[in-house]
Amino acid sequence: MTGLKAAAAALFAAALTAGGASAQPMTKIDFQLNWKISGDHAPYYVAIEKGWFKEEGLDVNVMIGQGSGFAVQMVDAGKAQIGIADAPVPIEGRAKGANVKVIGIIFDKHPNAMYFWKDSGITKPQDLKGKTVAVPASDGHKVMWPAFASLIGVNAADVKFVNIEPTAKPAALGTKKADVVFELYTGKPFMEKAVPADKLGVLLWADYGFNAYAHSYIANTDFLKSNPEAARKFLKVVYRAWDFTLKNIPESIEILSKYHPINRDDFVANLTAVREFFKTDRYRNNGIGYIDPARMQDTINIVKEKGVEIKTPASDFYTAEFLPNPPYKFNF
Amino acid sequence: MNLATLAPRLKTPAVIVALLAIWQAAVVLLKVPEFILPSPLSALEHLFLPQPDANYNWGVHIRATLLEIGIAFVVTSVVGIAIAIGLAWSDAVRRLSMPLFVFVNSLPIIAIAPIILLWSGYGLATNILIAFLVSFFPVVINTLAGLSAIDDDLLDLVNYLHATKMQVFVKLRIPNSLPYIFTGLKICSTMCVVGAIVGEFIASDKGLGYIIINSQYTMDSPPIYAGLMLVSLFGVSLFALVGLAERILMPWARKGVEA
Repeated sequence: MTGLKAAAAALFAAALTAGGASAQPMTKIDFQLNWKISGDHAPYYVAIEKGWFKEEGLDVNVMIGQGSGFAVQMVDAGKAQIGIADAPVPIEGRAKGANVKVIGIIFDKHPNAMYFWKDSGITKPQDLKGKTVAVPASDGHKVMWPAFASLIGVNAADVKFVNIEPTAKPAALGTKKADVVFELYTGKPFMEKAVPADKLGVLLWADYGFNAYAHSYIANTDFLKSNPEAARKFLKVVYRAWDFTLKNIPESIEILSKYHPINRDDFVANLTAVREFFKTDRYRNNGIGYIDPARMQDTINIVKEKGVEIKTPASDFYTAEFLPNPPYKFNF
Repeated sequence: MNLATLAPRLKTPAVIVALLAIWQAAVVLLKVPEFILPSPLSALEHLFLPQPDANYNWGVHIRATLLEIGIAFVVTSVVGIAIAIGLAWSDAVRRLSMPLFVFVNSLPIIAIAPIILLWSGYGLATNILIAFLVSFFPVVINTLAGLSAIDDDLLDLVNYLHATKMQVFVKLRIPNSLPYIFTGLKICSTMCVVGAIVGEFIASDKGLGYIIINSQYTMDSPPIYAGLMLVSLFGVSLFALVGLAERILMPWARKGVEA
């Protein structure tokens, strides 16, 4: 090494240690969302805006989503370390060899719902028999329908499905192109634009015994092995951000709107609907994100009923060891 | 310029304004709900005036889409013409690779886009690639047709004069193919716009396609229509630019389709 090079190296090292006192090396995390931006994505931008990820030494890159299947593929391939997906999708993926595990729950109550015109005479899910339901082919509702149908004692084939573009759901109901639309409860404010609120009927599957888990955080298993601390810090920050977001909905949407072209009023309504899925005794007692082994088993059973071979025990599909301790308990 | 020469030039804008007026009147008179069809004024308001409940950041998104369209058009034009010259240069190459290009062109973009996303993520490069895949084929096919459509007598003549293959291309085939190339570029100009928007629809966090798909999700209709107006404006402008270039580069042929 020449004198000059040595001097440069020494300078560089000095610069590193000088900076190192305050800034630990940042861990880069690519975070794959489940879908295009909606109100329930506000916490991630709250955490970015308030510098909470940075505080924990995380450099988080939020990526717009394309559905749960895509999120599982991205996380399995290591293109994202952590993602959001509907719990049955990563369970099926793992059963087929994908390197993904569920590491935390987002909604404690399943958000699947059905919308209809009140004057159609539908009062309970069993009334769906013989009706036409509009739902996209790859939609989680359609995937879950056979399990829900058998739960409520309806022959799954007694319902006629029409394939529609996801964004066309409210219009399909508004213009009565279908009797019923399957859409998450969180989409209610948008449905109310197409159907007057007093004429819009909505039933939550969860209120009729549908007990599966839905939106969950998933992680790449190699990443969990090589960087468990980063996973733990990530969940700590996102649940802290959830706690803040649920208490400060307008402010959180204000922050989200700095990053995405959204209609704030619509998104406040959307996030207010989302909050209902956190108001459960389970979350009150165990903290946001808590994974209930019995419900996880129910979710795995639903995947099994679809004909997926489950060879490993339930504990292979999820782990609760990265959840924040102490947990964030959202008080109402 | 007097009124007689000005009047024909105003025909197209007059038709557009009249259509917008009919649209506005229909929405107001028939009380069409905004989520089904907003009035053009409401769409324009969302574009030009600050909204109390949203900040659409049009500047950022317009820039993102324009950049995608611009780069995609340049890349597609250059690569498409280069491919066509390669194919015309050698019969063997053409026979071997033409089926491949037809194959690529017949892939439904909506089906392969998620695969591209899995490989390269979303963003500028992905949307340019999607726009290229949607729009390169017309450039290749038209240029190739132009390079091959040479009068046999003319070829006999230059061969008799011992012209090299290079000379035949530079002096005969390429100038002869110019009108064909411009036809290909005109098709490409609008297809590039479609491709860029399709890319943004499938996954993006910037661009007019992103605003449109986001607003569809929340039934926020006026920005959808504002976005569509801008997108078609870009398509028409690029088409007109190609037409202008055609008139400048080929002053002898003034009968192309004009925007």
